[in-house]
Amino acid sequence: MSLKKQDDMDHNAWLKSQDLTAIETAFLTTLIWLDKRLRIVDYLELLETMYYRANLQMPKSHTEQYDLDNKFWYWYPLYSLGSLSIIAYLLAAVSGALLGFYYAPSTAGAVAQGDPTAAYDSMVMIMQDVQFGFMLRSIHRWSAQFMVAAVFLHMLRVYFTGAYKEPREVNWILGVVLIALTLLFGFSGYVLPWKQLSFWAAQIGVELALATPIVGEWAAQLLFGGFTLGQATLVRMYILHVFVLPFVVTALIAVHVGIVWVQGIAEPH
Amino acid sequence: MTDDTTPMTDGGTDDEARTDGGPPATVPPDDETPTWSERKEHSQGLAQLTYQYFERSRREDEDLRTESTYVERDVLGFPTWPHETIRNLAITSFFIGIMLLVASIMPGHFGDPANPGSTPAIILPDWYLYWSFGLLKLDPINPDLAVLGGNIIMSNELMGLVAHGAIFGVITLVPFLNKGNARRPVEEPGWAALGVTGVILAITLAALAIQNFFPVQLELLFSLTFMLPVAGGVVTYAVLKTMREGYMYDLNRRYFMLRPPK
Repeated sequence: MSLKKQDDMDHNAWLKSQDLTAIETAFLTTLIWLDKRLRIVDYLELLETMYYRANLQMPKSHTEQYDLDNKFWYWYPLYSLGSLSIIAYLLAAVSGALLGFYYAPSTAGAVAQGDPTAAYDSMVMIMQDVQFGFMLRSIHRWSAQFMVAAVFLHMLRVYFTGAYKEPREVNWILGVVLIALTLLFGFSGYVLPWKQLSFWAAQIGVELALATPIVGEWAAQLLFGGFTLGQATLVRMYILHVFVLPFVVTALIAVHVGIVWVQGIAEPH
Repeated sequence: MTDDTTPMTDGGTDDEARTDGGPPATVPPDDETPTWSERKEHSQGLAQLTYQYFERSRREDEDLRTESTYVERDVLGFPTWPHETIRNLAITSFFIGIMLLVASIMPGHFGDPANPGSTPAIILPDWYLYWSFGLLKLDPINPDLAVLGGNIIMSNELMGLVAHGAIFGVITLVPFLNKGNARRPVEEPGWAALGVTGVILAITLAALAIQNFFPVQLELLFSLTFMLPVAGGVVTYAVLKTMREGYMYDLNRRYFMLRPPK
């Protein structure tokens, strides 16, 4: 451990010995000046190593190695279904956040049975008064439909190309969980406008929960806020739809994609 | 421990002027990180085991890499920028464009406000839950027991739930039941047939859920719900079994041309 000043790395002399343009000189001078104080070269080296690890040494893919492209090109569009579900999910997230500015999860305001509630009225307001609101709701609704469809087709692709086999069992199970959560996402969103179909879909949900032995009543209270539908149901569905599920599903999608990244894409062979 | 050649913090080597107690008794190596074996020696218990394992697995990796005939190369095959990025952007904008287009030409229906007092004639979830709704309409096959005087064991709703559980359970278990290297439907006609059966069953269950829309008798629709999937599965199995021989011949020929047996 020597603290003696060392001059064998005389960067300035090295700089002078080079034949550099003004821009290059300015750049190197700045770099050396910064590096003497902050040792940024260490970090750059780290970045470089990571870049090379990520990008440069890549094995040939299975289809490349055995020259199967001519046989399998027609499978490849099916491999974009996972991406499509994520894209649709993002579109639904953005349009949903915008809808959330105007929507009110409340059953207040109905004097008699069958009167419009605050939730219903806010939906009508979005569709009739808010600038671009009709389109916004339509986008949210359709991106949700696209997401569910893409997720189902994605599962079929994975099944029929045998992509779930060892070592990918965990990701298959994660995918099954994600499908269930996607359906729950759709169901909770379906209830929010609090129209006739929403209400009676939720009614079927409560009856199903109550039919479950042992945990049924507990589940009905947790998810629907009681055995009859009302304000509590709407708020629980709302929190599920805009707070709980977004975090859980986003995290699980990240893990799902991360595992695919680590394990590589299973190609047919 | 002090000597004239060891410099002090101010750069001098004057022993008399030393006030910092000299260099530390143990001097870590300058710019060497400890190797796995060194870390192993300096640790004990679980940490030592961990390092031992790391050493082993690194050695294993290296052996495998030496033995392997796997082709590695410096890729520059399909560059991330700009090729892959442009391709992804194109696909993404295409999908988003399709969604916006559909959203603009087919806005959703918006019905009457909720009325707990009047049950509508038709109760339906969104289309993707039709299959699930169909599972709740399986009353005719809910088993009744003679010993209970023809009473059913579980309510119809509970049977629907059990059916959901069974379906999700089977789907979850698939990777543990079907093992091996086969990837294509032709290689495993049975599993492909099972998949087709499942897909058709989902469709027919959806049809059962919206039974009011079909001008057929309920008994017939109910029978078709279970007959069609089975028929679809049988046809798939037959077709794939027929395709299989020629297909596998081509595949094996290609494989052995590329990797001739030793």
